[in-house]
Amino acid sequence: MTTPTLAMRVLRAPRASFIGRPTFTVAVLVLAAMTLGAVFAPAIAPYPPDAPDFLAVNAPPSPAHWLGTDGLGRDLLSRLLYGARTALLGPLLVVIGSTAVGMLLGLLAGWRGGWIDAALGRVFDVLFAFPSLLLAIMAVALFGKGLVAPVIAMSIAYAPFVARLTRSLVKAERTRPYVAAYRVAGFGGAFIAFRSVLPNVTPIVGAQSTLNFGYVLAELAGLSFLGLGVQPPTPDWGAMINEAQAGIVGGHFLPAIVPAVAVVIAVVAVNIIGEELSDRIGGGAPA
Amino acid sequence: MAAAQAAAGSGAHGRFTGAGLRRVAGKLGGLALTLFLASLLVFFSRFLVPGDPVSFLLRGRKPSAEAVAQVTAQYGLDLPPWQQYLDWVVGALHGDFGRSLQFRQDVATVIGDRLPVTLMLVVMAGIGIAVVGVGAGIVAALNRGKALDRVTLIGLTVLSAIPSFVGSIVLISVFAVQLGWFPTFGSGDGFGDMVYHLVLPSIALAIVFVVLVGKVTRSSMVEQLGREHVEVATSRGLKRGTVIRRHVFRNALGPILTVSGVLVAGLIVASTIVEAAFGLSGIGSLLVQSVDRLDFPVVQAIVMFVVTAFVVVNAVVDVLEPVIDPRSAAGAGAR
Amino acid sequence: MSLLDIRNLTIDLADGRRLLHGISLGVAEGETVGLVGESGSGKSLTARAVLGLTPTGSRLDGSVMLDGHEVLGAAAREVRALRRHSAAMIFQDPRAGINPMRTLGDHLTETLRLCDGLPAADAEARALDLLAAVRLPRPADHLTQYPHEFSGGMLQRVMIAGALTSAPKLLVCDEPTTALDVTTQAEIMRVLVEQREGRGMGMLLITHDLALAASVCDRLVVMRAGRVEEEGSAMRVLVAPEADYTRRLVAATPTLAAGPAASAEPPEAPTASAPAGSGPGSSDAPSAAPAPALSVTGLSKTYRPRGRPPVIAVADASFELERGGALAVVGESGSGKSTLARMIVGLEPSDGGTLSIGGRDRAAGPRGRAERLERARSVQMVFQDPYLSLDPRVTAGRSIEEALRLHTRMPRAAARNRAVELLERVGLTAEHAAARPRTLSGGQRQRVAIARALAIEPEVLVMDEATSALDVSVQAQVLDLVAGLRRERGLTLLFISHDLAVVRRVCEQTLVMRRGEVVERGATAELLDAPRHPYTRLLLDSVPRPAAPADSVVAPR
Repeated sequence: MTTPTLAMRVLRAPRASFIGRPTFTVAVLVLAAMTLGAVFAPAIAPYPPDAPDFLAVNAPPSPAHWLGTDGLGRDLLSRLLYGARTALLGPLLVVIGSTAVGMLLGLLAGWRGGWIDAALGRVFDVLFAFPSLLLAIMAVALFGKGLVAPVIAMSIAYAPFVARLTRSLVKAERTRPYVAAYRVAGFGGAFIAFRSVLPNVTPIVGAQSTLNFGYVLAELAGLSFLGLGVQPPTPDWGAMINEAQAGIVGGHFLPAIVPAVAVVIAVVAVNIIGEELSDRIGGGAPA
Repeated sequence: MAAAQAAAGSGAHGRFTGAGLRRVAGKLGGLALTLFLASLLVFFSRFLVPGDPVSFLLRGRKPSAEAVAQVTAQYGLDLPPWQQYLDWVVGALHGDFGRSLQFRQDVATVIGDRLPVTLMLVVMAGIGIAVVGVGAGIVAALNRGKALDRVTLIGLTVLSAIPSFVGSIVLISVFAVQLGWFPTFGSGDGFGDMVYHLVLPSIALAIVFVVLVGKVTRSSMVEQLGREHVEVATSRGLKRGTVIRRHVFRNALGPILTVSGVLVAGLIVASTIVEAAFGLSGIGSLLVQSVDRLDFPVVQAIVMFVVTAFVVVNAVVDVLEPVIDPRSAAGAGAR
Repeated sequence: MSLLDIRNLTIDLADGRRLLHGISLGVAEGETVGLVGESGSGKSLTARAVLGLTPTGSRLDGSVMLDGHEVLGAAAREVRALRRHSAAMIFQDPRAGINPMRTLGDHLTETLRLCDGLPAADAEARALDLLAAVRLPRPADHLTQYPHEFSGGMLQRVMIAGALTSAPKLLVCDEPTTALDVTTQAEIMRVLVEQREGRGMGMLLITHDLALAASVCDRLVVMRAGRVEEEGSAMRVLVAPEADYTRRLVAATPTLAAGPAASAEPPEAPTASAPAGSGPGSSDAPSAAPAPALSVTGLSKTYRPRGRPPVIAVADASFELERGGALAVVGESGSGKSTLARMIVGLEPSDGGTLSIGGRDRAAGPRGRAERLERARSVQMVFQDPYLSLDPRVTAGRSIEEALRLHTRMPRAAARNRAVELLERVGLTAEHAAARPRTLSGGQRQRVAIARALAIEPEVLVMDEATSALDVSVQAQVLDLVAGLRRERGLTLLFISHDLAVVRRVCEQTLVMRRGEVVERGATAELLDAPRHPYTRLLLDSVPRPAAPADSVVAPR
């Protein structure tokens, strides 16, 4: 057994819930607002995302431009709304992909054990040695810039985490007397694995995957910040910061700070939701 | 009972003897196997890209007949793939990762020039993470359920949402541009100047990771605090400080060390972002530059370097485990 | 002067719940007092309060005078001094109670070095003396060993030695033997009594086991739900209990003697078995009768863990069980009784030997769905831990329905009705059908497990320590239920237990196992009254018995 299992076991160790119900509600509302903003960006954005306003370059917030404009005079609010699309969609795909693949492989490894478990464990060990951002950068080096290769690479990078967690939970469930009781009652392995064990571990895995969403969001934005992900002029939070970087030394902070704050708010909201879910679920599953 | 006594007699002092050595040997074997598989992935990933390898390696450059011939010869592209792999691995083991396409220098030289900045950055961030993370974790655990615990946890959650590029631009905006306390750019000359130049970057790098160490410290301490042996120690009249030091923190160390090991690779990778933001010339910015300029040999070498660092550090943590927890030496996996 | 005097002690949790409602009790110098109660009675809370160990955020009221000092509200330094010199505590689970990452030497000498400032060499000398006093074999070696190298019984001796380092006047023992086997329990109790007498200490013994308390204590205090129900001399409380609750507790406590408690014994089931002979595999009765419900010959199982010597879990076990009969398999941990049960229900493949249930060979694993279901209808099992043996997500009713529908193709509505019928039969109601296991008590869960097993209508029911996690009064109810079911349905029962006293209530036949081998078999009454094998005798001698008034020795040999 290598280290990440332990790390994850520790990460989901019982902790006092420090998030109040109102905080949780606010987090859900914020995330919902961001999602709606992204989906309906064309309808609600005051300007097209790449329309320059040469009279208002690096403008401060004003009635015309609520959040101000960037170095090319583009409206920051509009770019923020459009940018939410790539910023949120990428992590969503990664979380769905890695959770689906990871849970299946984890169930397979944990339930069947033996050589399948050993072989999958070795594969996970190798993948763990590739931090997700590194794998994403490598994918860009191979297949070129953009979001597609990194999203696939990160799904692969996160799947072992989900798989490890699922595997260890399944292994623990498997030794529980209730599983033996199903066997003695004559139920088949497939029924027990899919109808009983899998539903019992899903909530914990799901909550953990929610927490992954925040990390992936930050990492994909970071990739665009490095200029390796979403390419300008497509609006994306990371890419916006990248473009705005040159202006910082000149004292034009706003074009960088606005998307940066958006990233932080999104990640905080997702993490609060994930933590709260873990806390609620953690109580139901004896460790 | 008699059998148990016999068992207690044998195997007593065998912590670093036969079983211990076998364990270390097993770990080294696992390390070698993991590195081997990782090298396969790194090397053969190139073959996932459809099309002709010569034009892949020369993307974005003028494919003159001369360049084609040179690249073909240099990488042995006319040889069978396994031969190419063997040449690459044997070279890598001798510190020869081929030549950089962009710098026209040996890859090893290019990386070697930039390594000190990254290592310094990672070390400084690592120290900060350890001190702040463990400290915050201990404070939270000892005040479990009280206001200080809540504040610490909320603080950690907020910090965990500040990616290093956000941290970088905020720190640059405030402390470098507005206040002018620190340089905005570069890594300085000489040791002292380098430390000075790397203060802001290492903070930006550390922010996200503090939460991991902090939460692990807290939950590991809280778990130990609830253990019966802590109550026993208290019932024997030991001072609270002594109990915390000898029975809680000592026993909580294992997971903290483990997580710290996992962090190392993450720090090196995340330094790409910080280096890019602060204009530092380390291997992180080299990686980005090499991806940008389609210099695949350098990318391969850096990826291999990070992977090796991760695997080695974690193997060291694994081998150290019995020093912290005598049970793991005996293979009595129970916690 | 009284060593410990608790007056009107109340404890309120931070959320306002009151756990103790005015407890009063005392321990005189040199006296042994037993504090007896079932889970949730508050006995452990009371014991911990003596040493100032209270739940965080709780509020205490009343008075706890220890060795002439008030514990409640005392300054931290004063409380530490009391813990150092006046009282010491021994906890239930020595494996959890000794820091697994430090050597035993460190555990024993830590307080001497850090609190009393003794030089390391002197502290070690003291530790060696104490290890010898609790009769550990090689004190010098033990100092550098770690807890994981020891058995539970040995660790409990270390814990006792550790408590004695401070030369306490009062020894508080919180269920000191509950986690241990019965023979080990007897040894540990002997060490405790010996040390108490040798040092003239007072002792407060917290236990759920009335018989154990009565066997070593001068006085007993019976607690329930945070109140003292009764107090008096040990003999008096046991023989002539005054409080209602104590009377019920005494009646529910299984005893080896065939007293009034044995009334729950089921009326003689089919007596074809005659007075069975004793000795292993003595079931070679003429086979004119129909095939026995369960027949086992030469069944064995050896575990071969990697890098360690093989463990023989079951060696060559042979026995038969007639239809409608009830056979108990008794043994301590490591005797192989649970492995035997798991092989019989098919959770564990056997290495060799034959196993036939209802006349059909069941040694090989089932192939295919039909065989699997048929195997399940031959034998069902009720597991030990009621908290883990039900699927946490599935309601009581649905778990029974699922089993019914798997085996009978009953339509959903019919299955639901049948499930409710079964729940009612085991003493639950239709409302329990909608309850998830989390909301049920331990006894209710075991009833659900029994109902589910009955739903499949097996030829044989195996109960693997099915009542050992329950409080005695709940255990008595579940045992009565099983006895009733046997009467009514002629259920064939294989009852695995570590507790000889429980066995007497349920089974006509008993089989004793040790280290994988069947050492004795016979009619339960005979076996308990006149054991033949030395191990059976040792087991019986180890069961705590209230001392005869003149006799204060534990577990006479």
